[in-house]
Amino acid sequence: MNVTVETLALIVVFAPVIGAIIAGLFGRVLPAKVSMTVTTGLLMVAAASAITIFIGYWDKSLVLPDEPIRIFKWIDVAGFTSTWSIRLDAISVVMMAVVTSVSSMVHLYSWGYMSDDPFKPRFFAYLSLFTFAMLSLVTAADFMQLFFGWEGVGLASYLLIGFYFLKRSANDAQIKAFVVNRVGDFGFVLGIMSVYFVFGTIEFKDVFHAIPHHIHDTMGWGKLQLPAMEVIALLLFIGAMGKSAQFLLHTWLPDAMEGPTPVSALIHAATMVTAGVVLVTLCSPIFQVAPFASGVVTLIGAITAIFAATIGIAQNDIKRVIAYSTCSQLGYMFFAAGIGVYQAAMFHLFTHAFFKAMLFLGAGSVIHGLHHEQDMRKMGGVWKPMKITYAIMLIGTLAITGVGIPGTNFGFAGFFSKDAIIESAFAASSEGLPFATFAFWMGILAAFLTSFYSWRLAFMTFTGTFRGDAHGGHHDDDAHAHAVHAAHVEGHHDAHQEDGVAPAHESPLVMLVPLFILAFGAIFAGFIFNDAFVGEGAHDFWGHAIYVSPENHILHARHNVPEWVKFMPLTVTLLGLLGAMIVYLWNKGLGEKIAKATGPIHAFLYNKWYFDELYDAVFVKGARALGDFFWKVGDQKLIDGIINGIASDTNIISKKSVKVQSGYVYHYAFIMLIALVAFGALVLLKKG
Amino acid sequence: MMEIGLTHYLAFAAALFTIGVFGIFVNRKNIIVILMSVEMILLAVNVNFVAFSVFLGDLVGQIFAMFVLTVAAAEAAVVLAILVVYFRNRGTIAVDDLNVLKG
Amino acid sequence: MNLASVTHDLAFMTPELVIAVGAMLLVLMGAFVSKSAYRAITYLSVVVLLVAGFLGVQHAPDNAQVLFNGSYVVDAFGGFAKLIIALTAACAILLSADYLAERNLEKPEYPVLALLAVLGMYVMVSAHDLLAVYMGVELQSLALYVLAAYARDDRKSSEAGLKYFVLGALSSGILLYGVSLIYGFTGTINFGKLMTIAKDTSNVGLIFGMVFVLSGIAFKMSVAPFHMWTPDVYEGAPTPSTAFFATAPKMAAAILLGRFLFEAFGEVVSQWRDVVSIMAVLSMFVGAIFALQQTNMKRLLAYSSILNMGYAMVAIAAGPVYGPSALLLFTAIYAITSVGMFGVLLSMRDAKGKEITKISGYSGLSKQRPLLSLALTIMFFSITGIPPLLGFFGKFQIFIAAVDGGVMPLALILVIASVISAFYYLRVLKVVWFDEPSVEIVGGLATTKVTVTGVTLMIALLTPFIGLIYTASMAAGHFFK
Repeated sequence: MNVTVETLALIVVFAPVIGAIIAGLFGRVLPAKVSMTVTTGLLMVAAASAITIFIGYWDKSLVLPDEPIRIFKWIDVAGFTSTWSIRLDAISVVMMAVVTSVSSMVHLYSWGYMSDDPFKPRFFAYLSLFTFAMLSLVTAADFMQLFFGWEGVGLASYLLIGFYFLKRSANDAQIKAFVVNRVGDFGFVLGIMSVYFVFGTIEFKDVFHAIPHHIHDTMGWGKLQLPAMEVIALLLFIGAMGKSAQFLLHTWLPDAMEGPTPVSALIHAATMVTAGVVLVTLCSPIFQVAPFASGVVTLIGAITAIFAATIGIAQNDIKRVIAYSTCSQLGYMFFAAGIGVYQAAMFHLFTHAFFKAMLFLGAGSVIHGLHHEQDMRKMGGVWKPMKITYAIMLIGTLAITGVGIPGTNFGFAGFFSKDAIIESAFAASSEGLPFATFAFWMGILAAFLTSFYSWRLAFMTFTGTFRGDAHGGHHDDDAHAHAVHAAHVEGHHDAHQEDGVAPAHESPLVMLVPLFILAFGAIFAGFIFNDAFVGEGAHDFWGHAIYVSPENHILHARHNVPEWVKFMPLTVTLLGLLGAMIVYLWNKGLGEKIAKATGPIHAFLYNKWYFDELYDAVFVKGARALGDFFWKVGDQKLIDGIINGIASDTNIISKKSVKVQSGYVYHYAFIMLIALVAFGALVLLKKG
Repeated sequence: MMEIGLTHYLAFAAALFTIGVFGIFVNRKNIIVILMSVEMILLAVNVNFVAFSVFLGDLVGQIFAMFVLTVAAAEAAVVLAILVVYFRNRGTIAVDDLNVLKG
Repeated sequence: MNLASVTHDLAFMTPELVIAVGAMLLVLMGAFVSKSAYRAITYLSVVVLLVAGFLGVQHAPDNAQVLFNGSYVVDAFGGFAKLIIALTAACAILLSADYLAERNLEKPEYPVLALLAVLGMYVMVSAHDLLAVYMGVELQSLALYVLAAYARDDRKSSEAGLKYFVLGALSSGILLYGVSLIYGFTGTINFGKLMTIAKDTSNVGLIFGMVFVLSGIAFKMSVAPFHMWTPDVYEGAPTPSTAFFATAPKMAAAILLGRFLFEAFGEVVSQWRDVVSIMAVLSMFVGAIFALQQTNMKRLLAYSSILNMGYAMVAIAAGPVYGPSALLLFTAIYAITSVGMFGVLLSMRDAKGKEITKISGYSGLSKQRPLLSLALTIMFFSITGIPPLLGFFGKFQIFIAAVDGGVMPLALILVIASVISAFYYLRVLKVVWFDEPSVEIVGGLATTKVTVTGVTLMIALLTPFIGLIYTASMAAGHFFK
């Protein structure tokens, strides 16, 4: 049986990279359809294999090998070894299933969404490359491979954000994403080095086994000695913050929406940004012995959850709203991990992947239908021409807001995972974990805001009358820089719409099918897997993959929280819905009035708490001023002066000394003899 | 009657060696002279070897000398061949003309 | 010493025997078959080298085997070097085929002489007493003198051969004189015995002899101030011969010097470290500074050789603990990169098939031969030491060895020399990529093309596996303890 698991795992990891190589290297010579078919087909195969493993593991018909599958030795230098391997445990199995299934859906969806783009092979190659990098990240058996995948997804994300390379804003966004991630990666690298410094190995198994011997280790400089576990955990978490766009390092994520929408769905919602959560969960043995670092994780997660949600309610770009919603949901996952319920974090990650990918692809469908209009103020009434998309988006909204009946097993996916987190936060706060009370209340508040902005999005986009310029909308096409003409031609077909109805068209089947499949997940994923992920079966399901310290009973304690806590999330969700209905459904224009009335507050939220401006003022301008100083004074005057002087002196010396090479044998022989005598004298003198 | 000891052999060989080396870079006339100088250096070494061999009572030095002689013969063959080729190209074997290549 | 022990010992020398027998068979083949056998003999000699290289790896003994009463040693240190020597020599022979054929020089002697030179190098890297050292050096040198003068109707070539011989013979004389002093003052020529003797005496004659031998080998390595022949011979010799000079013999001489100093005088590092350090500094200075004035590509690469051998001397100065593996790794990477650079040089032909050696002739190469330019760029970047190319790791390893080995100033000078040398390498690349084409450049012929492509790919593709090469060199270098 194990043979099958291993073969399947190999297929999962390597099918995407084969596709990426074929489409990437031969995309120019092969017809675009071939590249697309190969990448999508291979991804489907990978997804099928991954789901087989996942289901098999879930219903206990498959046994995972204890040892990672060793593929080849990558580095083996003086006691430092790193092997390319595939680690199979609950975390990697879940992640493989999530990544490949969402990725294959996104591949399929892109057939429709990217249909008029001239660079399709490149796009599909990037998508597959990304999938491979993500898979090597989640299946890593040591920190080195984890880091490889980490950087690999960063690279793919960079390439895909800037996919419309003619667009200035896309280029800026990709650079921003790359630079901000560097900050996090710096922490991550330091974390890995600290792990090697303390444990002498980077293999997960060995590191985690050795933790009991190193709990009281310290590291630092001279007198400044810090507990090693806390330092490692904090450094690793900084890496996770960067990749998962947590508070302070979140600024790149909304800008990343410059990439094509399928990319946003795949990378910036469902998979890559969850890498940080995976990292923290994977390193649960470290975080469990680092209470301070875990407290920081809780705090940052809770702040992100509420902070991103407040921004979300004031944004007008449909993709940005969903982007901030992603940020906020990642905050939930982090504070869950911070209080020690890694299972709930992974569960939310799992369900979130489905409904967030679906929301993004649904939004993409709207954007596609409206010829690349993204401003919700110019939408409205879209439900009529796009009924299926409307239904899908409603399901997505119900799922993300976590609608369900407490105490029963009826509800959408988000209901199970989000409530698990909030209840755990309450249980943790009664156990006195740091920041748990704060996290609980922020979670409740964020749930209210989530509901509000999600329904706001749904109402502004789909209901009411069309507010955009029927023809003008077509001109706002720079988001689709490669395909201006195609969009124009297509746009004129439906120019004869009735008043107040959006000039949209329903998306083709190839875009809708992935939506249906994801919708299935968004509805049922929570219901089906609740027990295995966070319920009675959790202990068996996660096995050794997640470590919780013996005194950590939060996952069980959450069942005993008071009734009002269980009903709290649903109540605030309904309140949010009510609020959104009042403002956007029943009182047209109230939204603008509120925005005007609360001027500064709205501006504060609309401008994302002025984080970009703050960073610009401090880091960008500061760095530039520093750079100017070094450039004009340090470099031009000082260094260039010295360098140019040295360079010209070197040249003069060179010109003079080369005359020694006269071409005469007797000169050469003479120099050899002189040298011989000199060396002989040297050793004799030394002898004394 | 003065006894001829190791020191004498060594001094003789050193003188021979020095003359040989000087022959290479003081002489500016004829390449053949350089070849003779090279032979002289090798012979100086051979004197050393044989003298050491006798005084150490060890055979290695004499065997080494045989090898040196053999190699010297091979060397002479090679260099004379090269010299003939050179002469055919240039019509001269003056040392001073040997400086097309420099810098 | 009976017959059984001779056969036992000979078994460890299978690669050497293959080369020796191969060379003899090929010379017979050249004598009895017509001129048209040239190509076949060339390719066969490459096969012989590859077989020897393969057998060397295949039959590598686990522990160092000292053979023939201590005059010859087969170990990992030499084994690693032999493999690289066989590979680069094979590349150099392949590179000669088109060039010689085009100039009516397609005589079977060329590959045979190259094989004999390689045999000499094999003896050099495995020598464990001074007689073996001398025989190896002479076998190599005699063959190389002829290769330098191989274009016999070319005055530059015969001048190069003559110069090389005169100075080479002088250096052999110096080496021999040193050997005679060592022998006379210790009574032995065996490295192992020398080690114990060198340890506990303040034997002036021995140290003096050591300096002589060191100088003699330094000449073969073209280390300053014994480097003077290098630019002239490189320029005058036919380019394939230059390609050969610049690669395998350099590695062999460097390894020989390493073994001589580490094994026979490893306990008295302080006695020779000053001399080696001065040689290293002078070589780096000459290699970096003199090269700035060069307009001829072959001369430029000659100075590049001197420079890189200066780096190798830094590795030797780092001492027997840290030096050996860095020396191996660096010289191996240098030899591979070097043979590639000469491959590019041999691909530079104008419309009439004449070779282009002036740097100005390279202008606009990128517009006419983009792939060749790319290959040259990769190799120059590699030899400059720009990560992630192979060259970086070799240099880095030497740097580490120098720091660990306590010769920090040399490490700093190495960095400075690298910066200066980067200038002249990049100057060529600037001419290649940014200047307008002046002459029509026709690429190399088939065999040359294949070789250049192969070497370039090797440099580019080996990079991810640097860890493995590094491990191998570490293992091979940890021999002197």
